[in-house]
Amino acid sequence: MRLSVRQILPLFVACALSLTGCATPPPADDPDAVAEYKEANDPLEPTNRVFYAINDALDTVILHPIALGYRAALPTPVRTGVHNVLNNLGTPVTLTNDLLQGNRRRAGDTMSRFLLNTTLGVGGLMDVAAERGIPDHPADFGMTLAVWGLNDGVFLFLPILGPTNPRDAVGFGVDSFVLDPWSWVGQGNTVRDLRVARAAVGAIDARVMVLDDFDRVKAQALDPYATIRSLARQYRTKQISDARGDVTPQAVKKSP
Amino acid sequence: MIAMLNRRQLLLAALSTVFVAGHAMGDSTDAAQALVEKLSRDLIGVVNGPGSAGEKQAALEKLIDRDVDIQAVARFCLGRFWRTANPDQLKAYGDLFRAVLVRNITSKVGEYQGVTMAVGKAQAREDDVLVGSVVTRPNNAPSRVDWVVSAAGGAPRIIDVVAEGTSLRLTQRSDYSAFLSRNNNDVQALIDAMRKQATQPG
Repeated sequence: MRLSVRQILPLFVACALSLTGCATPPPADDPDAVAEYKEANDPLEPTNRVFYAINDALDTVILHPIALGYRAALPTPVRTGVHNVLNNLGTPVTLTNDLLQGNRRRAGDTMSRFLLNTTLGVGGLMDVAAERGIPDHPADFGMTLAVWGLNDGVFLFLPILGPTNPRDAVGFGVDSFVLDPWSWVGQGNTVRDLRVARAAVGAIDARVMVLDDFDRVKAQALDPYATIRSLARQYRTKQISDARGDVTPQAVKKSP
Repeated sequence: MIAMLNRRQLLLAALSTVFVAGHAMGDSTDAAQALVEKLSRDLIGVVNGPGSAGEKQAALEKLIDRDVDIQAVARFCLGRFWRTANPDQLKAYGDLFRAVLVRNITSKVGEYQGVTMAVGKAQAREDDVLVGSVVTRPNNAPSRVDWVVSAAGGAPRIIDVVAEGTSLRLTQRSDYSAFLSRNNNDVQALIDAMRKQATQPG
């Protein structure tokens, strides 16, 4: 992961600079259009759409076929096992963020899950904790920043990361390079290879998880970019409100 | 009239208003919960029941027509363009919206084989009622699905489905509004694109 981000970041910055794309705000005398523009919160839309198109093209020729092959080649229990091991390896990041969010119950869940799944679950292969009523929950530094009161800012569509925003993109960097001990513990070729392997398998696993949903969005949406923008933002809002400890069902925005 | 009432009568009147309102509110949450529970049983029955894919799709279509306020959802999804479209366009849009919705929901019926659904508590909100549920598909983590029920059109009917925090109608409206803004806000262009969606094979 570290290598690929390093290689791609300069390219990304160069592209971003060469595209002077900013969405043109609608005229102020059209309140409906202005409300729509604000709701989208996507002033960099032209640039974002370029990255969406690049990502989508790369996905179509690389990740999507790999994910399809992965799903076809390996039976469900094996794929679930791989997913569980990756999840278990993510414990330090999850636990640190649970604690930074001040969520003691969740931190306790994360610790119990790690202990149960590493021992009874044979090194994390089986999610025995979920079967015992301690399900997995997401926790990342973008969420932590949100719980601390930082707003998401504008919508961004970035290479690799996909739909995100400045806050969550920074959060991703902090998770990957600061909070994740696997990114700085150990050295040498073996460690580097393991790191690359984990990142590669992680990317495939993440892609497989959304294979059908994503195919469906692309097939059914008139504007897949806008649909993904809306879905990503709503989903993230729900994750954050859950992390804040909201127990009431997710409220839907009222129609204007 | 009010001047003629004494304070006790006024108090009584006020109290009864509160009770009636409270009672009506209890009714609407109960009705919403009953609606979702029945729909859940019927849905699971169709999806996991016998019959060919075609038969299941036809049965699902009936359930959608019975329990979903399709025209209210259609209207929400068109947003501000509902006011600018002409009557012919609104008619065409409404019909196509139904066709595309039914198609999107029923086309993947086979993938839901083995699904289970646990309906939770109903919760009254300002204009509608939210009924929570947990939907579990084999080999998938359980997902939280909330059903939004409104009696604005008379009988209680579903006006939105919120899966893991993502609202179906909000997402659909974003899609349409983005499409329209890239097509000169021309509702006819939207209708033409929807007609293509409704008639394409697969």
